[in-house]
Parts: sequence; C-alpha cells; structure tokens
Amino acid sequence: MSAFVEFKNVKKTYKMGETEIHALNGADFEINKGEFCVIVGASGAGKTTILNILGGMDTLTSGNVILDGTDISKMSKKQLTSYRRYDIGFVFQFYNLVQNLTALENVELAAQICREPLNAADVLKQVGLEERMKNFPAQLSGGEQQRVAIARALAKNPKLLLCDEPTGALDYNTGKAVLKLLQDTCRKTGMTVVVITHNSAISAMADRIITVKNGKVSDMRLNDNIADAADIEW
Amino acid sequence: MARSMRKTTLREIKHTFGRYMAILAIIALGVGFFSGVRDTTPAMVNMMNGFLEENNFYDFRIISTSGWNDKSVEEFAEQPDVLMAEGSISFDASYYVPSRSIDEAVLKTHMLPEKINTIKVVEGTLPENSEECAVEQGRGYKIGEKIRINESNDSEVLEMVKSREFTVTALVISPYYLNREKGTTTIGNGTVDGFVYMPKSAFDTEYFSEIFVCLDNDYVMYSEEYNDFIDDRTEKWEKLSEETALKHHNKLLADAEAELADAKEEYESGIKEGQEELDKAAAELADGKKTLEDTKKQLDAAKADIDMLKAYIGANSPDVQKAETDYSNGVAEYEKGVADLEKGEKEYKDALAEFEEKSAEGGQKIADAEKEIAKLKARSVYVLNRNTNIGYALFENDSEIVEQVAKVFPVFFILVAALVCMTTMSRMVEEQRTQIGILKAIGYSETSIMGKFMFYSCSAALIGCVLGFAVGTKLFPAIIWVTYKIMYIPIDIPYYFDKNLALAAAAVSMLCSAGTTWIACRVELKETAASLMRPKAPKAGKRVLPEYIPFLWNRLKFLHKVSIRNIFRYKGRFFMMVTGIGGCMALLLTGFGLKDSIAGFADTQYGEIQTADAAVSFLDEKYEKINELLTEKTNGFAMMNHGSWDLLYEDRVKSIDLEAVEDFGNISEFMVFRDLEKQSISTPDLNEAIISHSISDRYNVEIGDEITLRDADMRELHLTVTGVFENHTYNLIYTTLETLEKQLNEDITPNKTFINFKTGETHGKQAADINKNSGVISVEQFAKTRDRMAEMMSSLDYIVILVIACAAALAFIVIYNLTNINITERQREIAAIKVLGFFRRETSAYVLRENIALTFMGILAGIAIGIPLHSFVMSQIKVDIVDFSTVILPQSYIYSAVLTLIFNFVVNLFMEIKLERINMAESLKSVD
Repeated sequence: MSAFVEFKNVKKTYKMGETEIHALNGADFEINKGEFCVIVGASGAGKTTILNILGGMDTLTSGNVILDGTDISKMSKKQLTSYRRYDIGFVFQFYNLVQNLTALENVELAAQICREPLNAADVLKQVGLEERMKNFPAQLSGGEQQRVAIARALAKNPKLLLCDEPTGALDYNTGKAVLKLLQDTCRKTGMTVVVITHNSAISAMADRIITVKNGKVSDMRLNDNIADAADIEW
Repeated sequence: MARSMRKTTLREIKHTFGRYMAILAIIALGVGFFSGVRDTTPAMVNMMNGFLEENNFYDFRIISTSGWNDKSVEEFAEQPDVLMAEGSISFDASYYVPSRSIDEAVLKTHMLPEKINTIKVVEGTLPENSEECAVEQGRGYKIGEKIRINESNDSEVLEMVKSREFTVTALVISPYYLNREKGTTTIGNGTVDGFVYMPKSAFDTEYFSEIFVCLDNDYVMYSEEYNDFIDDRTEKWEKLSEETALKHHNKLLADAEAELADAKEEYESGIKEGQEELDKAAAELADGKKTLEDTKKQLDAAKADIDMLKAYIGANSPDVQKAETDYSNGVAEYEKGVADLEKGEKEYKDALAEFEEKSAEGGQKIADAEKEIAKLKARSVYVLNRNTNIGYALFENDSEIVEQVAKVFPVFFILVAALVCMTTMSRMVEEQRTQIGILKAIGYSETSIMGKFMFYSCSAALIGCVLGFAVGTKLFPAIIWVTYKIMYIPIDIPYYFDKNLALAAAAVSMLCSAGTTWIACRVELKETAASLMRPKAPKAGKRVLPEYIPFLWNRLKFLHKVSIRNIFRYKGRFFMMVTGIGGCMALLLTGFGLKDSIAGFADTQYGEIQTADAAVSFLDEKYEKINELLTEKTNGFAMMNHGSWDLLYEDRVKSIDLEAVEDFGNISEFMVFRDLEKQSISTPDLNEAIISHSISDRYNVEIGDEITLRDADMRELHLTVTGVFENHTYNLIYTTLETLEKQLNEDITPNKTFINFKTGETHGKQAADINKNSGVISVEQFAKTRDRMAEMMSSLDYIVILVIACAAALAFIVIYNLTNINITERQREIAAIKVLGFFRRETSAYVLRENIALTFMGILAGIAIGIPLHSFVMSQIKVDIVDFSTVILPQSYIYSAVLTLIFNFVVNLFMEIKLERINMAESLKSVD
C-alpha cells in the first residue's frame, strides 16, 4: 500500500538578500492513512515549514509532496486554495476563531465552503461542546476554544487534519484533554491526523513519530508502544 | 530621546511609511485648504493695497462746483495730516475712433496725474502734448491710433479741451478704475465705457474740478483702522474744504460782482451818453428841418416874386434873369439841404438801432453776470472718500466672498483631518501595546514613550503643515485671482505670507496630531506594564440588533450575517468610518450645492421670477409721453414709482428699493410673486407691502409686521407686510402707488416700468429705439443683466471647483486610511480565513463587503450632515444685492455619492492587493 502522505526530497530555500537559508534541505517521510502522526523537533528545525507546505500555505523549492495520490508541489495558487479548502483541516496554536461568530457559526463558516461537510452541530457534539454551541469565543475557555477549532477543522471533512502546537496555548490538563480528543477522533473516524510540536512527550501517543533536525528528517519510526493520551506526562 | 528610542521611532516611520504618509497627506490637505482659502482674501487685498500704494491712491476726493485754483491745492497740501494734494479735472465725454468707425464710447476724461492716482503704463509712453492721450488697456485701442471727441458733446465739455483729436500713446491701468465696471453717466448709453488721460496742457481751463488728497497714513485698504482714520477726519475735512472753497469762491464771487457792477455802470453811462447824443442829434435834425422849411418858404416867396417880375418887366430883363439864377441856386441849395437832412435822419435811426442793440447787449451781460453769481451762490462742496470709487468698493465686496466661504468650510476639513489622525494614532498605539508594555517595564517614563508617538505624528503633521501651507497659500490665491482678473485690472498677485495664518495652521496641525496622539496614548499608558504585555483580550462578539428580528436575520446568507456582525462589532471603527466618509460626502455635497445655489440664482431670477424683458426708467414729468410711446412700441408694460428708501430696523437703517406699482392687475406678466415654496402670493392692498426674502431674512421682518421706511426728506411710510416673495437680486419692497400717494399726501407719478418687447425686431434694437426718446433715462434688458450676473458669479465657480477637488482628495485619503486600518487590524482573522480555504474573491468580499456597507451608511450620514452644512455655508455667504437660493439639485446628490463610491472602489482595488499579500503564516503567530 502506497503512503497517504509522501514527502520526497523536499527542499525549501528562503533568500534573504545575499544569503540563502535552507529551511528544508531534502526532507523525506511518509504517513499512512488513518495514522496519528507526530512531527517533533526543536525550534528552527523546519517543522513549521513542513506544516506550511503540507497545509498548502507555502510552496516548495524542489521535491514532491503527495497527498492521497495528488502531487501538490506543482499546484498553482488557486489550486492550493482549493486544496486547503477541500482536503485540509487546520488547527492553530492560537485557535484563530472569528470572534464575533458563535461556536456553531465558526464551525459553519468552514463547513459552508466545503463539498461534503459534516453537520456542524453534530461535530460540536462530538467534541463535547453541545451546551456551548451558542456561545461566542470570548465566553469560552481556551480548551473549549481549541475544541471549537478542532470541530471547525473536522466539519470540513478533510483528508488530513493538521494541528500546529494544539496544546501550546493551553494548560497541562486542558492540553491533554485536547490531545485525547484528537486521538479519539483519529481512532473513531479513521481521520489522518498530523500534530506538529516541539514537545517530544506527546510523541508517546503517536502511531508514527517523525523527528526533524536541521531541515531534514533525522528519524522516522512507528511507535511500538502507543500510549493513551490520558496517560502521557510532561 | 534616548538613542535607541530615536532609532525605533525612525524605523517605525520607515516601516509604516504608508501610514506616516497618510497623516502627512491629510494634514497637508487640511492645512492647505484651510490656509489657502484663508489666505486668498488677504492676499488679494494685499496685492491691491500694494498697487494702490504704489500709485498713491487718494484718500479724499474733494469736489467743488465752483472749482478750485492752485491756491486751494496749496492750502490743502499744507495741512499737517496731508502727504500730498493734487488738483485734477475730470468729465464724461463721448469719443469715437475715426479710423475704425468704432461706435462712440463714453470715456471718463482725466488730467494726467503727477502725484496722486498715478497710472501705470502697460504699453507705450505717457502723453506729453495737448494732442496725445493714454487710454485703458484691453479695450481694443492701439498705440498710434487717433480718438476723436464727438462734436455732439455739450459745448461746456468741448470748451474744456484744446484739440479735437488725440493720438493714443499709451495703454494704461489706473488705480482709479480697478474694475471693468466704471459706473454710470448721464450721456450716451448711460454707462462709462472706459477712461482717457490727457496731459494738463490739453485742457483749456484755469480751474480744477477736483482735488485729490493723500493723507499721511500706512493703513491697509478696507481695514478698520483705515476706516476709522478716515471717519475721524471726514468732518474736519468737510469744514476745511468748505472754507477753502469759500475763499476761492469769494474771490470768484467778488470778481463776478465787480464785473456785474462794471457792466451795470457801463451800461447805464452808455445809455445816458447815447441818449444825450441821440437827443442832440434829434434837435439838430429838427433845427435843420425848420431851416429848410424856412428856406423853402423863402424860395417859394422868391419864386412868386420872380413870376410877378416876369409878368411886369418881361422874362428877358437882366434883373429877372439874375433873380432866376439866384432862385435856382437857392433851390439847389435847398435840395442839398433836404438830402442832408434825410441823411441825418438815417444816421439818427442807425444810431438809435445801435443804441438799442448795445443796451440789450449790456442787459444780457448783466443777466449773465447775475446768473454766474447765482450759480456761484448755489455752489456745493463734496468730500468723497475711497468708498465712492466704484472699483475700490466692488473689490471689497468681491474679495469678501472668498473670505465668507473661508469662514466655515476649512473648519470642516480640519475636523475630518483630526478624525483621521485620531483613528490612525489610536490604531498605532493599540498595535504597539506590547512594545509600550516592554518599554514601561524596562523603565522608560510615560513621557518618553508618548514622545515616540508624539514625534511620529507631530513630525508627519509638521511636514504636512509646511507643505500644505506653502502649496495652499501659493496656489489658492493665484487660481482664484485668475478668475477675478477678468473683472479687474491685470496685475500679478504676489505671494502673501500671513504670519498669524501660519501660526494658526501650525497650531491646528499640532492640535490634530499631538492632541489626538495624546488622547490615544493616555488610556494605554495608564495600564501597568504587565497588563500591557498580556495580549489584549479580543473584543468579544455579541449579538447585534438585527438578530433580534428573526424574520430578517434568518433570511440572510451566512456571510452576510458575519458582515453585519462585524460592522456593529467595532463601534469605534464604525463611527470613524461613517463619520469620515460622511464628512467627505457632506463636503462634496456642499461643494456641488454651492455651485447649484450660486449658478442658479440668475436663471431663477430672470427666467422664473422677473419675467419682463426689460425695465425702463424715465423722468416722471414725461410720464404722459412715455405712456404713449410704450403703448405703441411695446407688448405691454406695468408702471410703478421706483424710489430708494431706508428701512428702519433695530435702530439702524438699510437702504432698499421701493416699487410702488400703479396697477397690480397685469403684473404677473412681468414679475411673478411667489414664496420660497413656489406658491404664488397675493399682491398688496392699501397700506400693505410685500417684501423680498432677503429683507425678511436679513432684517428679521415677518409677515404681519409693520415696517417703517424713510426717505432722504425724512418722510416716513408705514406698511404692513402681507407676504415675502422669492427674489434674488436687490432688496425690494412692493406696495401700491395709491399707498404712497395717500401716506405722503401728494401726487406721485410713475418713473419706472417693466416692459415686454414686441416680437420681430431684436430686443437690443427695440431697447435702443426706446432709449433714444427724451425723458427715458435707461432701458435695462434683463437678459443682459442675467448674463452679467452669471459672469460675475463665475468667479465663485472656481472656488467651488477648488472646494470640490479638495473634498474629493480628502475623501480619497480618508477612505484609504480607514480601510487600511480596518484591514491591518484584522490581519490574523483574514489570514485564518485564507487558511480555511477562502478563495481570493471570497476573502475580499468577506472584508470589503463591510467596507461597502459602511460607505453606504457614510453616504447617508453625509447627506444628513451635508444639507445643514450647505445651508450654513450659504447663510455665511452674503452679498448685499444678491440673495442666493439655497438649493442642492438632485444630480448633486448623485455626483457626490458616485464620487464617494468611486473612491471606495479604487481604494478597494488597492486593498485587494493588500489582502492578497497577507501572509497566511500570520495565523500561526502568537497574538502580539
């Protein structure tokens, strides 16, 4: 079975005047469908660049990125937008909810631009926010806001759920609860989930752990001893 | 400012150059408009003042009907407050150009001045001998051309000049004639067409008709100081002139009386002598006659003797023959005597005739001398100040129009500019919240932190202020003067720097920048460093009003709901945007409205209200004749008595025109009386009057009030106001002729009439045809008046176009700036939306939909602000003889709105680019 996500010798070079910075210097990895994958690495290792490229927010200098058999490395800006729109669900570190929309409306905002969205209310119920649907973001706690963000990403019914430091702005327990939600989602719906973090402790709950260092994948392994999100500690 | 602080400030400017420029531009525009408009009137007055000073414009023009001599001039010149005095001659005469058969033109003929009211040569050299002259430039005369004085001028006028033909040696401008309009005259077609200057040697007169006096003062024309200065001296000068005139006059009178006495004496002695001689001659004649008769008798007797002798002694006797010879000798002698007598008698008759002629002549001489004395005795002296000079007075009025526009308009500009500065600076301070917190934490004082923002805004404002001031004060007076120049003398307007205005501009711009920055900083700086460094909680969303109307709300598309929420979410931004755009819309609307109101009044006045073709003024004693004439020559007329009266209000007086109409029956063919709502109003009955809107408006007279009018003889009229009619030129009151007659208790004859021309001949021809009749003073064709008025007001048009252009520029900057702020504020949100997969057009629609909605609200607000602003500005523009109608035509609303939308559209295009550039990675960043 060929991989669901493939990075093949991906290079990303930023030109800063005279000097060139190689954010990615030939990254290779693959992720199978339905996996819960954690990409871990120190600051500046190239995680965010991988995220940007995989999320269709940035282009790459060379190499190939394939999602579900489609090569996104050659896509135009507009195609990339469509790619983001239909294939990717994004969970941000700082939630990025639209402040003047209620939880439900924030989910709808994403859902209404997709081809086969899930029912917004159902998704919110799924993430445990049945009671808070009518609330505005400012009336929700950080964890709740991040759940809304996850619901928003899920409602789009994407092929891939990309999470950028989803626990970064949350306290320990809430962070763990959010991770559990992500893991459960992966398990229950078979959604492929990619979590990007600098916190290597999180990798304990992953199916696949990819370690990034100096713009390259230094290590990629399948986790033999998958921990439950509730059990991990940092 | 610490070094690193300075660095961060300068870098801030570099990085946010667009914003910096926005502040700079808005201040430049505000200050430019403010100072430009404010500078125009002083600059124009300064220019004219310079021209008048350069040419020693007079302070007093002193006229005496008995004239002045050199001594009088000297006497005036010796006064302590006098700089110089100069005698001069002026009269109206009609001239023509023989070589070009140009129609005759009435020219004011002046003596070439040496000291006062000196003229400026535009082309050629000043005339030097009695056959040369200088004429007004720009009237079609050429150097070297000859002009000829018309023989049809009064003999008195013709006697004044030595030559009949004059060669034009110079084309000149004169401080005495600043305006194209030169007033009225009693000859020709009633208006003075131009002027001509001739050297002193060209005049054949011993006396001056007027003396110009320059007083020792440096006051600027029209200034209160100057007017007070003149007012203070008027009485003294009137007395002095009277005395001086009296001296000259007494001499003249004494001369005349001596002449009279001589004439009388000569006459009487002549009569006596002549009579004596005549008597003597008559006696001699009688003697001669008697002698002759005696001789005849003797001869007859001698003849009888001879006949007798013949019978007795025969005819041949020598005695008889001797006697016969003697007799025939005697007869011859007698006949000679008879002839002599006849001659003597004829001589006597001649002498008698001569005597009679001479005595009649003497009588005439006496009568002349007596008349001269009577004229001298009826002499009057006038001390006229500059305000009686038509150019001087007109220029004050015209230049004031700009000043009146300058009163309110710029303030509004400045307000909008301040609003934009405020929004921009608040946004900036908010953006830099964390930085402020850090600086505070490091230990910078509030003052130095605020200093950074102060420097940012103030430096932008200062540069903008200097730029705006320089450009505004240079450009506005120049552009406006270009239009005025058509009506006035063609001189260049020098740059006028008004220190106070510069200070005001600087103060205003500082207030806009520093003031708003202070307000913006104050709140943030009060917070503690720690709270500043914590991200500010995003403004909570909440339900907005429309949501409580489910009927509407549920029908809206999802994204529309979002937009509506967003609009109401940021109240501050909503307010700024709506007021900002509304302000610009209001300015545009006012600009267009000004144009409508100003451009339209002449059309309304002469197209809809005063519908007669012309007005004829005539001498009231010729009423019967004129009545006949007009019955034949016109297509109907309405007679009235026109008079100038003073309206008494609040212990002041205002000169108005009173028209006492003979019969209001057919007046509607000539003048439509209607109120401002275009409803016709009824004509006055006995002791009633209707007044023009200008009078009601400016002097607070209402329907039902009783007004009092007073004329020069202090006679009073008391009239009840029964209506206020729409009328845009002059201040008019209409009543009935009967009222006038009853209240003044005398017979009043009409002296003015409205007429409608017959079809066929051109109106001009018909007017001339009526004008040439004796007793007709003038024929005013309203079509011409309408054109002239429109031309006069075209100078205002330019100002209006300037206003519109500036309002448009302002609108553009405001919309750009506000939209820009709107977008930078929401970068994260927009980035997140993009990550979600919104297409380009969806993203811009998401943001700009709000913008468009706000623009529409701004337009509505603008209409709401614009209408009162327009009426306010109109109420400030007061020209005594013109009452503008305050109208904004429907298309002006459309123009203003469309312009605003176009600006919005253009700005949106820019913004789409900006949206496109927003990096999606923004959404990954933490809140800062």
